[in-house]
Amino acid sequence: MMEPKTQPPVERPPSAETFLPSSRVRTIMKSSMDTGLITNEVLFMMTKCTELFVRHLAGAAYTEAFHQRPGETLKYEHLSQLVNKSKNLEFLLQIVPEKIRVHEFKEMLRLNRSAGSDDDEESESGSESDE
Amino acid sequence: MVERIEDLNLPNAVIGRLIKEALPESASVSKEARAAIARAASVFAIFVTSSSTALAHKQNHKTITAKDILQTLTELDFESFVPSLTQDLEVYRKMVKDKKESKASKKDSSTTENANAIATAAAEVAAE
Repeated sequence: MMEPKTQPPVERPPSAETFLPSSRVRTIMKSSMDTGLITNEVLFMMTKCTELFVRHLAGAAYTEAFHQRPGETLKYEHLSQLVNKSKNLEFLLQIVPEKIRVHEFKEMLRLNRSAGSDDDEESESGSESDE
Repeated sequence: MVERIEDLNLPNAVIGRLIKEALPESASVSKEARAAIARAASVFAIFVTSSSTALAHKQNHKTITAKDILQTLTELDFESFVPSLTQDLEVYRKMVKDKKESKASKKDSSTTENANAIATAAAEVAAE
């Protein structure tokens, strides 16, 4: 697994202005379990860093595919390729999976079935004992 | 509370604009790619929030602070975000402070105005 160069986020002057709606960001934050109070400052930070992330993800996927060549079209595959390569995007593997064709999927199932007879324990480890 | 799953979506138009800003000139984005980035952004926000919450709890804090977020970003391998985010935070804090001050001074001036009005009114009454 190679590590793509983490390029600096797109240059822009620091600003207290946000583009994404902070009410929506608040809803998203609340959807995560036991988020306590959300101060305005934290909401601002979260909105800003989500914006940075959008720019980063788009920019890095484009750069990975086309370098700085202008005029190309960023497609889904470029994103899933980047997600597959980058350690810090691992959390997106299920969100932006690589697309496969039906016959490839069938092949995968077949291989799984023939090899998977000995490892059929579904380990869903969600045990948190403290708190 | 989240009633509908769409409540977690970020607005397409804004996402589209942010993406365009990050790409070289005349580059475009497929619809599918934009949708995937929007989804990824929501998940990123949840991911950072829950990691920051965990970090805050570890330090026996109930609420997340800006510092927790910065530290979380470093831990999650997004330290490249930290410098510009820190600068944004400074600008934000200054803005909040300025707002407070201007509000406070407005209040001050309005109360003195009030006091003046009362004083003149009292003087008028006394003169009669």
